[in-house]
Amino acid sequence: MDRDVILTMRGIEIQFPGVKALDGVDFTLRRGEVHALLGENGAGKSTLIKCLTGVNKMDAGKIELEGKEIRPTDPKNAMDMGISTVFQEINLCDNLSVAENIFIGRQPMKRGQIDWKEINRRSNELLERFHVHIDVTRPLSQFSTAIQQMVSIARAVDVDAKVLILDEPTSSLDSDEVKKLFDVMRDLKAQGIGIIFITHFLDQVFEMSDRMTVLRNGKLVGIYNANEITKLELVSSMIGKDLDQIFDLKRAAQKEDAAMMLEANHIGVPGKVEDISFGQKKGELLGFAGLLGSGRTETAEMIFGVTKMANGDLKIAGIPVKIGEPMDAINHKIAFCPEDRKRDGIIGDLTIRENIALALQARRGMMKPMSRKEQDELADKYIKLLAIATPDAEKKIKELSGGNQQKVILARWMATDPDLLILDEPTRGIDVGAKAEIQRLMLQMCEEGMSIIFISSELDEIIRCSNRIIVMRDGKKAGELNGENCTQADIMRIIAGEKVGETA
Amino acid sequence: MKSKESIFKNKLTWAVIAELLILAVAGILEPGFFSIEYNQTTGMLYGSLIDIINRSAEITIIAMGMTMVIALGGTDISVGALVAVAGAFALKFLRWDVTLYPTPGDYTVYPFILVIVVPLIICTLMGLFNGVLIGKFKLQPIIATLILMVAGRGIAQIATNGKQFTTGYTPYRFIGQGSLFALPFPIIITIVVCVCVMIFVRKTAFGTFVESVGVNPNASRVTGLKSDRIIMIVYTLTGFLSGIAGLIYSSRISSCDSNNAGVNYEMDAILAVVLGGTSMTGGKFSLTGTIVGSIIIRTITTLVYYFGITSESIMAFKAAIILVVIVIQSEPFGKWMATRNARKQKAGELRG
Repeated sequence: MDRDVILTMRGIEIQFPGVKALDGVDFTLRRGEVHALLGENGAGKSTLIKCLTGVNKMDAGKIELEGKEIRPTDPKNAMDMGISTVFQEINLCDNLSVAENIFIGRQPMKRGQIDWKEINRRSNELLERFHVHIDVTRPLSQFSTAIQQMVSIARAVDVDAKVLILDEPTSSLDSDEVKKLFDVMRDLKAQGIGIIFITHFLDQVFEMSDRMTVLRNGKLVGIYNANEITKLELVSSMIGKDLDQIFDLKRAAQKEDAAMMLEANHIGVPGKVEDISFGQKKGELLGFAGLLGSGRTETAEMIFGVTKMANGDLKIAGIPVKIGEPMDAINHKIAFCPEDRKRDGIIGDLTIRENIALALQARRGMMKPMSRKEQDELADKYIKLLAIATPDAEKKIKELSGGNQQKVILARWMATDPDLLILDEPTRGIDVGAKAEIQRLMLQMCEEGMSIIFISSELDEIIRCSNRIIVMRDGKKAGELNGENCTQADIMRIIAGEKVGETA
Repeated sequence: MKSKESIFKNKLTWAVIAELLILAVAGILEPGFFSIEYNQTTGMLYGSLIDIINRSAEITIIAMGMTMVIALGGTDISVGALVAVAGAFALKFLRWDVTLYPTPGDYTVYPFILVIVVPLIICTLMGLFNGVLIGKFKLQPIIATLILMVAGRGIAQIATNGKQFTTGYTPYRFIGQGSLFALPFPIIITIVVCVCVMIFVRKTAFGTFVESVGVNPNASRVTGLKSDRIIMIVYTLTGFLSGIAGLIYSSRISSCDSNNAGVNYEMDAILAVVLGGTSMTGGKFSLTGTIVGSIIIRTITTLVYYFGITSESIMAFKAAIILVVIVIQSEPFGKWMATRNARKQKAGELRG
């Protein structure tokens, strides 16, 4: 056994309703190491962290900290044992002073009163270590995000941390601030703290980490030394190939003479996506590939009016349109299954029937209600058509499994009979069978003349289904490929930023 | 799939049971509690039960709107003040300038239609004001409605120059004191209002839209609902309904009392909604439940008066009963009952 190992997680299993979130995952962290935890969304990174900090209870597996088995019950308990976490969103109190933020909940006392002198002195001392020189008595809100990030890291390590978890610490920092943060991380490393580093930025992974653990679909894919793997190999191991998933799917044939459905000219929202242009024909399945945060979802949300388009213009069937609200898009017969099903998709407390009827009802307007009979028929039709597993249409949608919830949302939009259907990660987090059914359905709808925009992180399904693929990187369109004759490597190369000859 | 269990899980069932229990206690203690008599001279039915429904009219009417406010995940604490506003403006138009018409009598200075319509319009606009703050400017409902809760009584004071006007105008007094089909007129108004609201909510898609926005505003927007508009309609409606309640109240006392009219009505209305089984977290709502809830509140009050319990202890007495009903409806209590029943059943099976 490696003497340097500070933390071992072995055979971690966590079962969520309908989904195995973690399936026998191992993870080791050495003293003074930066260990990147990688994987696409839903791979199980955050579940693993939550397991380590006691937010989620594991169903099987063992955690050892410095050779002793531990079972963290909650984040405070984990922190007491030396496992500190700095979350993606800074969870400090804006209105309190820097020093108060560092010592909140554990203020040093003197004769029954809070010892402010001591708090300020120790805060100063602590921040010195991070080369941050500020007045610690001023409210936190007066400082930049980077400083705030430093303060939350300072707080995390001051509790005698042995393990520091940084969950997307750089996502709200600019490049100078990132550099500062990396300096701090190097200092902490030198002090022998083990750092778990979660990020979507591959450059930063290669710059900072010693080793990488890659998860996919709740399973461990591999552990790599940073100097022994290329970016391309890493992307490929993150995205993976579903080898066991060979479907008899045939891409919808693209008719050459099909009319234009959607034309986007230089559309964008500053800071999110810039200058996206593409055209889509009737009956075409257009895939959007790219890593998370590359602008795929933002583009879709612009077309559907969830986010207001700042630049550029849209044409539907050759006619310029203005879409400022989802309702406008719906009136132009566009439909949108959002990526975050829980937040933007399901209405949890309403029944399957009500969820299915909602979009159609919204388009008809309040004063033309659908009769109960009409709703029942609609619900029954789609429950049968999409094989939604439920005893009846009166079950609350939140009680269904992820895959079935997704089917209900799909049914909601199919019921509106759209010309253009935007599907954002429709197969994420659902089981293999439901995945195949949804893919089959997409192709069938295209065959019947519907245009589909299909956003997915899984390259094999994008390639399998799409007529054409647009690859996004850093909020820009990085390339366009023909779906018939491209390989995963082609897409990965564009994602990884290697220059390739673009085929249109 | 409707089993016995699901009936007992239904909060409305518990509300009805609670009401029946309270009535049963009243009946045991005082058998005369249920007697209803027909008075030949006034042509009206009299009795505690009639009185309960009659006196619950204001809260029931307000609580119709409050139900949807709460279903949207909000609250409206301005309704009590709006009751005062409606009364003040009605009396203003009845009396106008008390130095010119110093004695209250069976007359109105402005046409009766204005006496009714102006207060309702003002209350509706105030409701719209709440709705705009909450729907468009995304203020927290309790803060947004706090504004009119405070300002409303001020406006009511200004309308009547801080004086308490009284009236003897018969048509106006009829609203709160008259009778139709042997029933006190407020009951008739309540029935009409409840039926209209229920038709509006359940015969159009409005109810579903409210529930949808209440459960998940994000998803509702993505699905094409205009949530800010729905929010505005609900608060506007609640303002209008508070206006009706205000007219009934001021007609009952033939005057306006900007300091005391509608005091604590917001609390009673919220309570009626919660007793009726609508959750404060928003989502599914039950208008029928709210009516039962409102009647429960009034039953308790009437009971307390009927048995001569001193008015000082009324609040504490009311609170105690409400506490019991709400705890019984609470989720942990339901779960506890369910596990207890399951354990009992298991024990029974083992013994058998």
